[in-house]
Amino acid sequence: MPKQNRSEQLDLLVDALIARPKTAPGKREPKASPKLQALARIAAELLDLPRQDFKDRLKSDLGRRTSMASKPVMKAETRQTATAYLTVRDAAAAIEFYKKAFGATEVMRLVGPGTKIGHAEIRIGNSKIYLSDEFPDFGSVAPQRPGGSPVKMDIVVDDVDALTARAIAAGAKEVRAIQDQFYGMRTGQVADPFGYVWNVSTVLEELTGEEMQKRYDDLVKQGAFTQPQQKPDEKRAPRAVRPIPEGFHTLTPYLAVNGAARLIDFLKEGFGAVEKFRVNRPGSELVMHAEMRMGDSVLELADASDEFGARLLGNILHVHDVDAVYKRALEAGATSRFAPIEQSYGDLEAAVKDPAGNYWNITEIRKTDHRTDDTRTILPYLNLAGAAEFVEFTKRAFGAKEVSMFQAPDGKVIHARLRIGDSILALGEAHGESALILGALHMYVPNVEDVYAAAVREGIKVLRPLRDEPYGDRAAVLQDAFGNWWFPSTHIKDVQF
Amino acid sequence: MKAPAQDAGERGLVEAAQKDPTRFAELYENNFARVYAYVSRRVNNREEAQDLTAEVFHQALANLGRFEWRGVPFAAWLVRIAANAIADRWKLVAREHGNPISGELSSKEISPEEIHHHARLFRLVDTLPAEQRRVIEMRFAQEKSISEIAKEIGRTEGAVKQLQFRGLESLRSQLHVSSRKSTARKSAGRMGRLNA
Repeated sequence: MPKQNRSEQLDLLVDALIARPKTAPGKREPKASPKLQALARIAAELLDLPRQDFKDRLKSDLGRRTSMASKPVMKAETRQTATAYLTVRDAAAAIEFYKKAFGATEVMRLVGPGTKIGHAEIRIGNSKIYLSDEFPDFGSVAPQRPGGSPVKMDIVVDDVDALTARAIAAGAKEVRAIQDQFYGMRTGQVADPFGYVWNVSTVLEELTGEEMQKRYDDLVKQGAFTQPQQKPDEKRAPRAVRPIPEGFHTLTPYLAVNGAARLIDFLKEGFGAVEKFRVNRPGSELVMHAEMRMGDSVLELADASDEFGARLLGNILHVHDVDAVYKRALEAGATSRFAPIEQSYGDLEAAVKDPAGNYWNITEIRKTDHRTDDTRTILPYLNLAGAAEFVEFTKRAFGAKEVSMFQAPDGKVIHARLRIGDSILALGEAHGESALILGALHMYVPNVEDVYAAAVREGIKVLRPLRDEPYGDRAAVLQDAFGNWWFPSTHIKDVQF
Repeated sequence: MKAPAQDAGERGLVEAAQKDPTRFAELYENNFARVYAYVSRRVNNREEAQDLTAEVFHQALANLGRFEWRGVPFAAWLVRIAANAIADRWKLVAREHGNPISGELSSKEISPEEIHHHARLFRLVDTLPAEQRRVIEMRFAQEKSISEIAKEIGRTEGAVKQLQFRGLESLRSQLHVSSRKSTARKSAGRMGRLNA
């Protein structure tokens, strides 16, 4: 019997099996040879075959639970006796803020009624803090009133300056500048957006109560607490610089191209980018550094140099009208990789190469779960050899968190999204049509020393060690084992050009 | 029968996951096929099988600390959780509909060999060549028609049927004759209609 016929016959049997529940009783089924019957028996058993997407989804659900469960939950014997309980308006936002500002980790939350948080527990260092949304009917009211909360929070850390900078970068306001205090600590005070004031300190010297009282008495004698501390002619301390410059997020793609000026024109015409800053190399038409604003994101670029040869980057560009942007990009000189189509995951997507050859996926998000609070106009993506290892590396080196992860059965990463600081990075395994696309990422952090140290500990290659740059950043140039460039930076002083 | 070395490996995994729940993923991977095989044999539709399988693993994760190693395979513990979950569900259904528990469903026994055979078949699917595997997955797990699959993978319908044939053929050749016997009853039941 020819094979073609057998496969046709087998499919008739399979069809009958699949349709079985709907088959009218008494309907004649096809007869088959013993061999085909044996195969059809296996087919019958396969009707129970689990769906791969179900298996993956359940795994990631369980993974989410275990990652929460594995956070240090206090055992009874180490549970702290007294704990602050903060009532805030928008507890979910407050938890996010405390994560960003003070490096808090979420221990648990109870949601409801509605989206309100009835109770949540976060951990800062070795301390737990409880918080909840407002429940005025039960006497829980947030401190949004004149004067704010009479209760202050107090944090003692190894580096008060770094934590204060981090908190201010996350949206806290300075209340009192950091100063060395008589009680042996260096202390500053910030107010969070939810109405609480936090003292932040580092211990300078361990003092006894007696020693402290003596110093305190001296200060009282000097009238330190009866007169305004600031004399009228004393100049106010200069406003602290933002460690992450205005408009920047944690990750900013940095394009090194041949023909930066042409690319700037394209970005303006094709994508409606706004040029914020450009400086040419001395005595040259070549661009040394330029910054373009696109929606809520910044893109940096420069002409390729000896140190940084041209490198093609990949970015996802989130737009509201993919057809219009695609058309405009082509008119401005982009080449099409594919015209707008509806992808299987529900989004409308087109792809182009800009005149310098960089990859742009122009995406109109249709499915709301693809849009999160940190979905920005530009989302850098990488196609790497060893994407799964890269994910683990970024977790260790940069504290990246997995936002989503789709893996092939062999473990290869099809598409993953990572959160680093307040930015998302997309990536997948390079294969076939998706060639290697390496990254060049400017990474603004409040504490570049720590980030640099952690990355070096993870064996990253240092192309340029950490140093103060003339443009006011403390920055380094690193290359990971996958070939990506990282430029971790903290802005330390404002420089006028 | 399991070799003692396998037991030791499984015991190590369970103890690791009890200390660090993020290690649960390995237990999940090792036991998913077995739990799903058991549950899918005892309930009538895919959604229910998925719900129950999810419930089993969530319960197992929540109660992992209570699992004590006494030489009973971890999978047997999972199957017991599944059996209880299924019994609970039927009780609930019976209460909601005011019916007595259906004797036919609740008394249905599945032998460990049958679970083993089924789980093995599911795992064998994972080892098929990529295209065969994809067709088998789409045809049986996703219940797609030949023409839908042909469109999606960009092959002719004839080619898809061939891939299905070859996939089933290689599954058959890899399945042990002995392990097939134990499930012949149920399969024969389904096939009985075909030859009626």
